[in-house]
Amino acid sequence: MLSLIRKELALCMHPTAFLFLFFAVLVFIPYYPYEVVFFFSCLSLFFCCMKARENGDIAFSCALPVKKEHIPLAKMLVVFGLQAVILLLVGSIGAVKGVVLPAEQYINQAGISANLVLVGNGAVLLGVFNLIFFPRYFKAPDKIGVPFVVGAIVVFLLISIFIVLRWVTPLYSITLNGLNSVNTGAKVLACLIGLLAYILLTMASCRISMRNFAKVDM
Amino acid sequence: MNALEVNGLTKVYPEFMLDKVSFCVPEGHVVGLIGRNGAGKSTTIKGILRLIAAEGTVCVFGKNMGEDEMAVKQLIGYVGGGFRYYPMNTLSAVRKAYAPFYQKWDQGKYEQFLAQFGLSERKKVKELSEGMKVKFALALALSHGAKLLIMDEPTSGLDPLSREEFCDIVLQLVREEGVSVLFSTHITSDLMRIADDIVYLSQGRLLAACPLTELLGKYQLARFATLAEATAAKAIGVKAVKAGYEGLLPRDMQISTNAAVTDATIDNVIVHLEKASEEGRYAEFN
Repeated sequence: MLSLIRKELALCMHPTAFLFLFFAVLVFIPYYPYEVVFFFSCLSLFFCCMKARENGDIAFSCALPVKKEHIPLAKMLVVFGLQAVILLLVGSIGAVKGVVLPAEQYINQAGISANLVLVGNGAVLLGVFNLIFFPRYFKAPDKIGVPFVVGAIVVFLLISIFIVLRWVTPLYSITLNGLNSVNTGAKVLACLIGLLAYILLTMASCRISMRNFAKVDM
Repeated sequence: MNALEVNGLTKVYPEFMLDKVSFCVPEGHVVGLIGRNGAGKSTTIKGILRLIAAEGTVCVFGKNMGEDEMAVKQLIGYVGGGFRYYPMNTLSAVRKAYAPFYQKWDQGKYEQFLAQFGLSERKKVKELSEGMKVKFALALALSHGAKLLIMDEPTSGLDPLSREEFCDIVLQLVREEGVSVLFSTHITSDLMRIADDIVYLSQGRLLAACPLTELLGKYQLARFATLAEATAAKAIGVKAVKAGYEGLLPRDMQISTNAAVTDATIDNVIVHLEKASEEGRYAEFN
């Protein structure tokens, strides 16, 4: 498994997988739907899969002395690692923003502020994308477009829902919005719920993807 | 001991079926897998390597592939034609990713192969000629102590000189390293040059699995003036040629006085058996 992960990192990563991690600094933009940052993470995954297809990576991997189900697992583990990094970066850079900017500038007028709730929202977005994208992709690894488009539509739909919630519910617009130091317990809880959803959705995604890939003929 | 035993390999696609293919590759032998395009050669190789979900059993040096796939694949070197993967990466990057999968990776041997084949690790895969890609694939496949080499049309797309060089390399490996080889091809001159045995597939079915000399010794090519004469002689796979009709006759058969008979080449055998197979006379020579 470790060799497969190393191979993924050495031969399959598109530069955007790492470049788009820097988009976490977008949380410094005032009045911006920060959840979009997580969409870039999904987009980089699309580029990585394109690169893998161009390189014949899956056919190459299948001929190696590895269990077939480990091939999708290794690819997904690398992606989950990158997703963990983007969540961590958004949380950290959001916290830095809270320290360096005045409180009134920290409030986001276009969506939720760059606080722990944003990390929770991002985790839900990524978890849902994983559940939609990977099982479809590993059913037919040559067809990347449809799984990505379906995943992207659902991600933007969810982003819209988060923005609407920010404006129509006091929970999102008051309790969960603003600095982490205010209503900290509620924000931590929202973040944890998001992370738990991510773990459950991603585990389901892994299981279905590995099952689907076992049936794929190269 | 057999290097490879394939029993009842079956794969059903909507428009094609690989039908209970069984054969073996004796240790130290070079076995040619032949048949026309779409006969099931690549499907057979993919089935052996479990790249497709096929029924049947595959044993490599007595180890069942289904039970211990990872250990069995350590014994196999697979060359799927030229090296078509990671065109933008250097050979060095590919090797660094590939080598850790094999417990018996021998870096010294790999470098020896690179020197022998005239390959530079600094080059990108896309910069290699087709012949060089085959050599790179061979270098990777042979540097981890593989005892069985499985190759899918490694010589297609190579010029005659490169094919000759490839055949020399395979013979050298068999003689010096004791490697067993299964390779698919439809270039019959390569078979004549290096194959000990033949596995002949037609429309997903096994038509013959025997030593090459046995297959060639089984038939002779007969030329007839008329179709009626060819039919009367029960020639196999009769087809019209420039001057009359041609078909195969079993060597032990009484020859009609009107037929001109010569030794059959492997091309003759394939062409006429294929014709007979299409006409439904499969059972007669199987």
